[in-house]
Amino acid sequence: MIAFIKRYEGLWLFVHSPAAIVAAIVATLIILGAVFAPWLALVNPYDLASFSLFDGLLPPVWEEGANPRYLLGTDDQGRDMISSILYGARLSLVIGLSALTIAAVLGVGLGLAAGYYGGRFDAIVMRIADVQLALPAILTALLIDGIARGILPAAVQQDLRVAVLTLAIALSLWVNFARTARASTFVQMNKEYVQAAIMMGQRPSRIMFVHILPNILGPLLVIMTVDLASAILLEATLSFLGIGLPADSPSLGTLIRIGMQFLLSGEWWILWIPTLLLVALVVSINILGDFLRDVFNPRLR
Amino acid sequence: MTQRNLRQAALLGGVLSLCAIGASAETLRWASTTDPQTMDPHAVNSAPVLSFLNNIYEGLVRRGQDMSIEPSLATSWEPLEGENGWRFNLREGVTFQDGAAFTAEDVMFSYQRASDEAADVRSWFAPVSEVRVVDDFTIDFVTTAPNPLFPDSIANFMILDKDWAESNDAALPARDAENFATMNVNGTGPFTVASRDPGVRTTLVPNDNWWDEVQHNVTETVFTPIGNSATGLAALLSGEIDFIQPIPLQDVEQVEGREGFKVLEGEETRVIMFGFGHEHDTLLYSSDVTDANPFTDPRVRLAAAHAIDIASIDRVLFRGKIEPASQLVPAGISGFSEANQDRPAFNQERARELLAEAGYPDGFSFGLKCTNDRYINDEALCRAAASMFAAVGLNAELSTGPVRDYWPQLREDDFDMYLLGWSPGTFDMEHPIRFLMHSQDDEKKLGSWNFGNYSNARVDELLPQIQQEINPAARQAMIDEVVAITQEEVAYIPLYTQPLIWAAKDNINLTQRADNFFMLRWVTVN
Amino acid sequence: MVYFILKRLVQSVFVMLAVAFLAFSLFRFVGDPITQMTGVETSVADQERLRDELGLNDPFILQFGRFTGDMLQGDFGFSYRTRQPVAEMIADRIPATLELGIVALLISLFVGIPAGVYTALRPRGIATQTILMTTLVGVSIPTFVIGIMLIFIFGVQLGWLPTFGRGGTVQIGGWESSLFTVEGWRALLLPAITLGVYQLTLTMRLVRAEMMEVMRTDYIRFAMARGVPMQKLHYKHALANTMVPVITIIGLQFGGVIAFSIVTESVFQWPGMGLLFLESIRFVDIPVMGVYLVVIAFFFVLVNLIVDLLYVAIDPRLRVRDVQ
Repeated sequence: MIAFIKRYEGLWLFVHSPAAIVAAIVATLIILGAVFAPWLALVNPYDLASFSLFDGLLPPVWEEGANPRYLLGTDDQGRDMISSILYGARLSLVIGLSALTIAAVLGVGLGLAAGYYGGRFDAIVMRIADVQLALPAILTALLIDGIARGILPAAVQQDLRVAVLTLAIALSLWVNFARTARASTFVQMNKEYVQAAIMMGQRPSRIMFVHILPNILGPLLVIMTVDLASAILLEATLSFLGIGLPADSPSLGTLIRIGMQFLLSGEWWILWIPTLLLVALVVSINILGDFLRDVFNPRLR
Repeated sequence: MTQRNLRQAALLGGVLSLCAIGASAETLRWASTTDPQTMDPHAVNSAPVLSFLNNIYEGLVRRGQDMSIEPSLATSWEPLEGENGWRFNLREGVTFQDGAAFTAEDVMFSYQRASDEAADVRSWFAPVSEVRVVDDFTIDFVTTAPNPLFPDSIANFMILDKDWAESNDAALPARDAENFATMNVNGTGPFTVASRDPGVRTTLVPNDNWWDEVQHNVTETVFTPIGNSATGLAALLSGEIDFIQPIPLQDVEQVEGREGFKVLEGEETRVIMFGFGHEHDTLLYSSDVTDANPFTDPRVRLAAAHAIDIASIDRVLFRGKIEPASQLVPAGISGFSEANQDRPAFNQERARELLAEAGYPDGFSFGLKCTNDRYINDEALCRAAASMFAAVGLNAELSTGPVRDYWPQLREDDFDMYLLGWSPGTFDMEHPIRFLMHSQDDEKKLGSWNFGNYSNARVDELLPQIQQEINPAARQAMIDEVVAITQEEVAYIPLYTQPLIWAAKDNINLTQRADNFFMLRWVTVN
Repeated sequence: MVYFILKRLVQSVFVMLAVAFLAFSLFRFVGDPITQMTGVETSVADQERLRDELGLNDPFILQFGRFTGDMLQGDFGFSYRTRQPVAEMIADRIPATLELGIVALLISLFVGIPAGVYTALRPRGIATQTILMTTLVGVSIPTFVIGIMLIFIFGVQLGWLPTFGRGGTVQIGGWESSLFTVEGWRALLLPAITLGVYQLTLTMRLVRAEMMEVMRTDYIRFAMARGVPMQKLHYKHALANTMVPVITIIGLQFGGVIAFSIVTESVFQWPGMGLLFLESIRFVDIPVMGVYLVVIAFFFVLVNLIVDLLYVAIDPRLRVRDVQ
């Protein structure tokens, strides 16, 4: 019943929030485009034989010298820009969502337990978190990348770049979840309902996940919103520093890194088309996150 | 540290007061991508260091604006009589920047220092068996075999003052710890270091007692390393620096189109090429051919060469600024084989035929290793090449990475095909034959960069003869033969000569030398 | 209280050791320092000899022991690349990074907290919606794109601000500062904004969320009912109660600021530790990378310790827990 009202109320709020509607449409379009990229795209950026350098640096159709086959032009390799950004968004979303899921499960679990049990367990988790925090994301990525290179056979390394990058991003994000979950749990621990549940002898896992978790979702949702965006941006940054994905498996970040070379040279579309898509995607996610937070946490309205 | 900081503070005061009276007209502010690692001319054999220090230290000989060898601290040299080697007659009246006189003892000392195990430049002296001081201004370099090119090979061998180095505990180059010569200089050259903050700023001022006629009008230069090319270009366009080397190819038009700036374009001597794992029994990265190495068949290597559309690479990736290469040195370098100037044409049809003849009508997949931070557009080049190979059935699994772990991979034979750029250090064809075409021979230190171990008995036989031949025509005939053999066997696929793109404000006159060295002694600020 | 601090100090030492160990183990995979230290003509035998001299052929544990042992004795070693003492190289770069980081953090706090309070108190206002949208777009553009855009707008097109370096610096007792000259501030502005944008939005959103939460709590409602003036209510009661999570985030943010200063320093050629670190990675300069990581770890541990102590000072309930 409560869930129904919540859903109903959420729907009501949704149709009255133009920003959320626009964000939802934009995000849905991008996600659909990413999911159906293999059917929508003109060329497959992973199939080297499907494009040719001969078609390189063509501008979008509304500019002089364009080829109508490539609506938004081509990059320096002759890759169709539309195909590139569809596949790019696909890869960025996969990396961002997987990293976020790993980070959230790991972080919230550890944070809740640390806040609940306190004492030695808390100290150990928080010291591990400190070590993790003391290694900035970029260094974590280097570390994971380096270890992968050390233990994996050369032939599979190329194929596992995405997994390695995802893990690196996840490991640099979980601490946010853990610390926030822990701090909020501390506050909840002193509340009557938790004390009552403890005294009634309920199982710790039940207290943590059924009683405490819903009450600390607010701050966690804020973190989650910001962190999905961070994960996608972090991938771009790592690519910029040269420790992200290689240029032939183009995520949005890699496309932007390649495009940066053409910032001044007149071929603006190579940089700005993927950047615009990235910004649109991240802004939409953020707006939807804000909106969801309001729905789940009516006290904030 | 304190001393350096004091110097910086003093310098800062100086700069501020100069600005205040508007007399900074002859200050040259310039930038490049890499900071010279050290001020010690024998510690590191790398282009940024040698280029920078050539403004401060000098050798027995030096290179002119056209790369020709001309007298410097030696006024003349001639072959020794009765034995192999060269006699150098030294310039009299030259003083180091601290006022000490330059004599043959300093050359002797510098030779010992540069050929020591702690020096990174000792390979230059591999042919030298003995050095003798004849008198204060005459010195003999005895070599184990006739060595007509020896004077050309030591243009970057820079001379230190013996007393200065010894009294400052810098008698040997610093290997794993700092010494005095890492941060301080005392050369005979046209400029000296006024202050140095490694990785941030190095200020040079003219040496008032330089022996040669001064052609520049610079009173002070401030060098800043700027690693990010977009930032460097922005610094030039916003007027904060006067000169930068290099700028990205795609930005040439932008700079040329702006009032008050100019672009200097030239050809570097570096040839970019693909190499093969000639002695590998199987491919390492193939998903379909796992029991053989098709690249041992010259027809397959030729097919790969025919797959390359060098015209599109030039037009799209390099904006028409590269010169296609037929051999491992560009035209104009001594020893360039004019008889073998043709490169395999772009011909996908022929490539497929050759593959079919070799028994691979459907092609095969293999691994292509490339750097992504070593040569201009190296990553984009490899992506384009992989796409071109794929078009004829050669499915390249491209793997790109930074140069810092690239050479170890190549040394461990971890490749099927790889990218390499080579600049002939001696500006002679013999250099790439020695390093890239002769079979690997650790004993004689030959073929040390021939990663795929291309091996041909005739080439191995010709190299020592080329090294010792005094008659230019006979020497060229032997080089022509080597080039013909390696082209016939497609030992490498030479692609193009790397372009050299510098940019400066209009009021700066400078000389762009083919080795990418920026010599301050030819700079005038108008 | 003393016991608490002591316990945290001991824990901090372990954190530092763990970071040093992790850091050190990753170096082996970054690349080969020898090929970066020598020229193309250096023979393989000479390279091997150098490898031996530097102890790179020793077992990993021995190398790690030597590294930590030397460091505990205050010997930070010499850079492979420049052959200078690492301690001196890092010390020279610390002021640049700290000044950049602190100014960026201050920008994020001085703009972020008031903006957060304002947007919490007037959640439906047009100004609020505009602020929220602008900052959202701001954090959705990668830092390096923002930096380069700022360079091209304010440096190249308008010519108002310098595009690289620190501008004028002065020496104040061994600390090279750019905070005391106009040129220094001009050079500092763009990188600090670039670095601060992300933190600003985070601060603002957090303060806003916490403010809105607190404004709903019973004691604020009681206070409202009792007729406490709205101004006093907002700033004394409500804002003070948002401080616990805000302090947590500032602690976390300082880490973010230092980490992301690597990107900002690279874009603006800002001569701080981050730039030095990037150069060190390029040249596989193991001693510099190692010391950098340990120094960064030290900052983190220090900030976290302060955050924990502030927690205790602000929220008395936590004090009770720790005594138990």
